[in-house]
Amino acid sequence: MPSLLDYLERAVTGPILTQKDFHMKVLIPNIRKIVKEFDIKYDPKDPVPSDDALADRLYEASIEFLSMTGLYCADTNRIIQFDRKEIEKGLEDYREAGTFGEGRDRSVLRPRKPGDKNPPFCHIGTGTVATSEEIAMAQVEGYASIPQANSISIPALSSVRGIPVVGGSPLELYAVFNSIEAARKALWRAGRPGLPILNLCSAATTATGTIAGCYPTVGLRPSDGWLIDFIAEMTVDFNNLNKLTFVTYIGANVGSTDLVILGGYAGGAPGTALVMTTYHIAGCVLMKGAYHLTGPIDMNLGCSSTRAGTWVLSVVGRATSQNTRYCAIALPYAVGGPCTKMYFYEAAVSQLAAVTSGYAGIQVSHPAKAVINDGVTPTECLFNVGAVYGIAQSGMTADRASELCNRLLEKYEEDIKNPPPGTEGKTYPELYDLKTHKRSEEYDRLYDDILEELTRMGLPFK
Amino acid sequence: MDKKDVLENLATAVIEGNKDMARENAQNALTAGIDPLEAVDQGLSKGMGVVGAQFESGDSFLPELLMAADTFSAAMEIIEPTIEARKQQVRKEGTVLLATVKGDLHNIGKNIVGTVMETSGFEVVDIGIDQSTLSIIEAADKNKVEIIALSSLMSTTMPNQKELIEVLKEMGIRDRYFVLVGGGPVSQKWADDIGADGYGDTAIDAVNISRSLLNARSDP
Repeated sequence: MPSLLDYLERAVTGPILTQKDFHMKVLIPNIRKIVKEFDIKYDPKDPVPSDDALADRLYEASIEFLSMTGLYCADTNRIIQFDRKEIEKGLEDYREAGTFGEGRDRSVLRPRKPGDKNPPFCHIGTGTVATSEEIAMAQVEGYASIPQANSISIPALSSVRGIPVVGGSPLELYAVFNSIEAARKALWRAGRPGLPILNLCSAATTATGTIAGCYPTVGLRPSDGWLIDFIAEMTVDFNNLNKLTFVTYIGANVGSTDLVILGGYAGGAPGTALVMTTYHIAGCVLMKGAYHLTGPIDMNLGCSSTRAGTWVLSVVGRATSQNTRYCAIALPYAVGGPCTKMYFYEAAVSQLAAVTSGYAGIQVSHPAKAVINDGVTPTECLFNVGAVYGIAQSGMTADRASELCNRLLEKYEEDIKNPPPGTEGKTYPELYDLKTHKRSEEYDRLYDDILEELTRMGLPFK
Repeated sequence: MDKKDVLENLATAVIEGNKDMARENAQNALTAGIDPLEAVDQGLSKGMGVVGAQFESGDSFLPELLMAADTFSAAMEIIEPTIEARKQQVRKEGTVLLATVKGDLHNIGKNIVGTVMETSGFEVVDIGIDQSTLSIIEAADKNKVEIIALSSLMSTTMPNQKELIEVLKEMGIRDRYFVLVGGGPVSQKWADDIGADGYGDTAIDAVNISRSLLNARSDP
């Protein structure tokens, strides 16, 4: 079985070609060929398919695709090639992650399958949403106060001492140190000091930031998790391989990560599902990850809650959960922001798809495309957790989830394309008292209304 | 083969991403004595327009757009020498410099904008990712561009879009360029706050806004 070093060697010795040629002569033709050959078809009427044969074909297609295509290393312009037998052996030999976190807050990330009544692992927070220093601790404390939280995604600080953080600069290091310190304090205040942080480190855009953040006194632990990205599409780079090499060397938990662009190089829903499943496999075989964070994102709309995005999320979850032990955490994005009904409709759709398709874990659906500073609150996290627990424990089937998703999609899918004013919602300071960190009455009322509406529609909620 | 058929075939070739068909009909156009500029405008560009509209509406995706652009280029390799020999020039809408700002390694959005702008008639100078403010300004000056379009896909690199505008002001050359901003975390509000001339949610937005800005500048 090739080691990481073997794959890194291939990054500097593999076949060489320009990135344009990789896209036009390898990636795009291979996607088209494989999608056709394995008959991967998207049915817009069935956003949460229960078709096991389709899921299995998608899985087999992805192994074939990875062995034909490889991964392109953008820094060397060479392809890291994968032999089919290596891929199959890597998947077969995969050892499950086991536990994250410490003490009473230790959590196990276990594989699930469609129909599994066990609730998924709940990864709370939306790390890519930038946050001001003042709000960051309050948010994390709010997340950690949710009893079902298994892990935390800590905010990326947008400024340090009022100075805007510039990626790649020493300010990034300050942001890394400060965000981790603030998070640890918040977890301690919430009485959950051992809760694992699994999005290390969202403030670190560079390998320098990641490695600096790993210095022992900064507060990270081997029981936390580090995110290492694949790049759109089927591409890696030295920045991420550097992070991978370091995190692997220190024996910490690697979280392979993708966010496949629906409508981008992978094309429409079938190609996007193919690439997303392939990343799952590559995350297991190349990165030997402890977990995989994954989702599609619409190129124009910036969300995963479209009909096509929901289909992709579902079919990939079914394909990977039924065929591998490598645990995936679903990563959804919504257009609606905090304190909008649209957000909750979208989050419900994404979690219906994720839970019934067998994802081992879920992350909170990111509000307002994750682009509004301070644009997430603990209420969204509470909702996502309540929904996934309810859906799982009710034993809901994918067919029933598909039916509910169709009804929910009718409520918002036109608005996604042309969001009415106010769709981005409100920010933490607008919705929570900054001294007491209690939610506003406005949000209390909306939350009660939406829970009643969704429960009447048939969404089980705990 | 008559002119109408040739022009239609050129458009179809671009729409279908069929390079062989494009090359064959580009040659047919020259053989038939069709004005090469007309072959570009009424054949190739028409096809690109169809693909662009399909892309914008979500009926087709980036691979189709790239294949169309590639096919367009393949036909232009045949037609361009004749245009140059006649000392003609394909009318350019304007010249745009594209860059992803310093600290940001994302390029897919920028590349899409570049492809759509180029096939919409703009001359595009793409200097790539992780570009410092001064390297962007230097390249803008060297290439005599009219528009600087900045991409930022992370909130932590957005400040570099603001920095470029401020540095242009400090250098006393703010009026020399239109500055457009875009990327995942970027919004109209951000563009307004930093004094950018435009913000585009999509690649077609970039084309339309660029055209409006350049037309407004040239109108008395």
